[in-house]
Amino acid sequence: MTQKEVLDELKALIVERLKFDPRRAAEMTAETTLPKGLEGSLGLDSLDFIELSVAMEERFGIVIDETESLTDEFFSLDSLSRFVLSKVK
Amino acid sequence: MSARRRVVVTGLGSVSAAGCGGSSAVAAALERSAETIAPLKAFTVPDCASRLAAEVDDEELMTLLNADTVRRLSRICRMAVAACRLAAEDAGLEGGARLGLSVGSEYGDFRSGAEFFNGFLRRGPGGLSPMIFPNTVMNSMAAVVAIATGAKAPSVTINQATVAGDLAVLRGAALIASGRADAVIAGGVDEIFLDVYRGLCALGALSPMAGGAREGCRPYSADHNGLVMGEGATFLVLEELEAARARGATIHAEMLGSAWGSIPVAPHTAPASRRDAHQTVRRALERAGVAADSLGRSYGSGNGDPALDDWELRLLEADGIRNPVSLAPLFGQHGGLGALRAAAGTLAARADGAPALVHGIARGGCRTAMVIGRAA
Amino acid sequence: MTRVVVSGLGVVSPYGVGAKTFWAGLATGECTIRPLTVIDTEGFRSRIAAEVPADVLPGIGVSSRRSRADRIALAAAREALAEADLAPRDRAEMGLFVGAVGGGMLEGEEWYCEEKSGRPSSRIRALRSILPVSHAETLAWRLRLGGPRETVVMACASGAASIALGADVIRSGATPLVLAGGVDAITHICFMGFNALKLLDPEPCRPFDRGRRGMSIGEGAAFLVLEDADHCRARGARVLGELLGAGMTTDAHHVTAPHPDGEGMIRAMVDALAASGRAPADIGYVNAHGTGTPQNDRVEALALVRVFGEGRVLVSSTKSLIGHTMAAAGSMEAAATLLSLQHGLIPPTVSLRDPDPEVPFDCVPGTARSVELGAAVSNSFGFGGQNVSLVFGR
Repeated sequence: MTQKEVLDELKALIVERLKFDPRRAAEMTAETTLPKGLEGSLGLDSLDFIELSVAMEERFGIVIDETESLTDEFFSLDSLSRFVLSKVK
Repeated sequence: MSARRRVVVTGLGSVSAAGCGGSSAVAAALERSAETIAPLKAFTVPDCASRLAAEVDDEELMTLLNADTVRRLSRICRMAVAACRLAAEDAGLEGGARLGLSVGSEYGDFRSGAEFFNGFLRRGPGGLSPMIFPNTVMNSMAAVVAIATGAKAPSVTINQATVAGDLAVLRGAALIASGRADAVIAGGVDEIFLDVYRGLCALGALSPMAGGAREGCRPYSADHNGLVMGEGATFLVLEELEAARARGATIHAEMLGSAWGSIPVAPHTAPASRRDAHQTVRRALERAGVAADSLGRSYGSGNGDPALDDWELRLLEADGIRNPVSLAPLFGQHGGLGALRAAAGTLAARADGAPALVHGIARGGCRTAMVIGRAA
Repeated sequence: MTRVVVSGLGVVSPYGVGAKTFWAGLATGECTIRPLTVIDTEGFRSRIAAEVPADVLPGIGVSSRRSRADRIALAAAREALAEADLAPRDRAEMGLFVGAVGGGMLEGEEWYCEEKSGRPSSRIRALRSILPVSHAETLAWRLRLGGPRETVVMACASGAASIALGADVIRSGATPLVLAGGVDAITHICFMGFNALKLLDPEPCRPFDRGRRGMSIGEGAAFLVLEDADHCRARGARVLGELLGAGMTTDAHHVTAPHPDGEGMIRAMVDALAASGRAPADIGYVNAHGTGTPQNDRVEALALVRVFGEGRVLVSSTKSLIGHTMAAAGSMEAAATLLSLQHGLIPPTVSLRDPDPEVPFDCVPGTARSVELGAAVSNSFGFGGQNVSLVFGR
């Protein structure tokens, strides 16, 4: 998979599982930040991240260890898609 | 010994098949008596003789909400948040440690429960959505409304058939009277969901019951033949009298007295010959200091369910109360209906000065009574 | 001011039937969290729970046609009423407050699965008992209770809220008696949901332990007969303890996570103490919410420090013994607190081997502790930030 493909899949998950408007997803880029509290971010909280992790595990066939701190990985769509690629390999 | 805390109504908010808004919208809906019961739009129900419901307009509902803020909220939670915010705005009330919530519901968020469970049926453990799970517990509406309104005093959810809204209003008034809150947003909410509609159909609860003719909601009529489902959320802002006066709130009416009790009968039954040993209505009238013959309007929970209608009329007759008014034809049966009754009682008392009785009785024997009048 | 006492107690727990059996299990510190048998757990990360033993249900004295939760509730309620030894006239006045969440969902799930597989299910009767309100309907009828009836759904605090609100109704003068408690039976949806949220420990939960990894689920029912103290004295009935006060608050912060500073928990305890006329120094024991999740225990400890001061009160988690019994938890743990006061013995946090330094309290690890107690607190901090704190006295 390329990073672009992973990015598109992540956007699809964000719409489908986190109930974001598809039009909003179309505007998302790799630079889009995720966590609540960052200006201009998608404003995701802990519950969103659990949902997204579960969805990513299913969609990409990876395993995410929830005891690990993944703050950096969940910072932006760019960091998240790199994280997925590293797991898929 | 502290003085008795008096409870008044300072705001209303409603989302229903008759429209959405604050106290003037509710008053208008009650006056218009428009036809809100119509063939279902949201889904079709195979294998069922029933087709009718009183549905909320989803587009109208979304105009009341910020799409980003309610992104994760299920439909029933959205209705609850919309109505509670309308009520709080109507009352000019802000959140805080002394604002509580009381939410009644008949079915809660069955939709989320089914969605969650279906994830498992389709794809096993990996198909489960952690995000949906919190919605499967019936207090989820109260939890999200508390966040939306900043209500940090107790938030109570009550499950009850037929009179969930009535009980929630009584519970809200009790929270204030006992000092646990100075204001409570109290009312009920339910939504129409396919699996629940089908379930009620299969259990024979909906009009037209077993071999009946015309489908429709005809409470207390000789040709009543079952209930018609409605949906929506309606909430009253209840407040301690002195606190309401201190902030210059509009006082619509006062909860003069109330009572609730049980008639211990078998679940789901409504045996017309059983009397209320607890004398719920008499207690409510006594606490209100109001005689039955000085009541203006009386509102009843009768909704077209023949056994329940008949039982209610017999019970009220024994209390000296006749010709109760049902709001079921306007709004359909749902958890918000009891709060709509309380709202109607509030508006009636405000308009014509005579106190109103809001009565409720459910199959299984849960009985409620509140007397609402002008605040002296 | 009206004083509210407890004149009857009934419990069905993972130890078996009866308050005596319940106390014997708590006192010996037996952990009842084991591999689940009531439901299929294939494919799930955590596959254990504290179940009401299968061999006690046939003899429980309630028809097997009723839902599992109804059976447990009715048996516990009957025991409480039997102990209180009330006249029929008293029952006609008696209120009923039931904390419930799952209702008869276990049986409802069976119906739903059959329907979805295309075979119209014969279990349609299960729908009639599926909702939380079904327990109160059954209990009011079977036990002939004619006073105010209410089913309170407040997630993990339901069982405690029913006690607090039931006591309020007595203080209001509406009735001198209330049967108050909570019930929950194992359901697929609860088991699957907490697994999906990754809040369950695959091993029995370890509240307040440095290595804790999550909750364990449990089931059961407990009911208390709450009574106006004067009314109880007048009829010469035995008093098991007193409900001195209760505090109820809402975090209004997040649907699953508690307020990070324990703000709502602190207010609930402070309000409960104020209502009970007791100072923190009067409290010898706190029966904690103590689920064993990293987050809850940390925030709860913060709140306890703010209210009582570091190390100034003994703390233990009943959930280490019987799991998290959901809507029943508040009432089962209230029962445990009452019994602790009666016997001068604090049940242990049984699985605690490596105390978390962020929890600066003696959490009674491993074995029960003999302590003379005057008053104790029982906390229930529900999902969605709905908090109840109860203060009991001897």
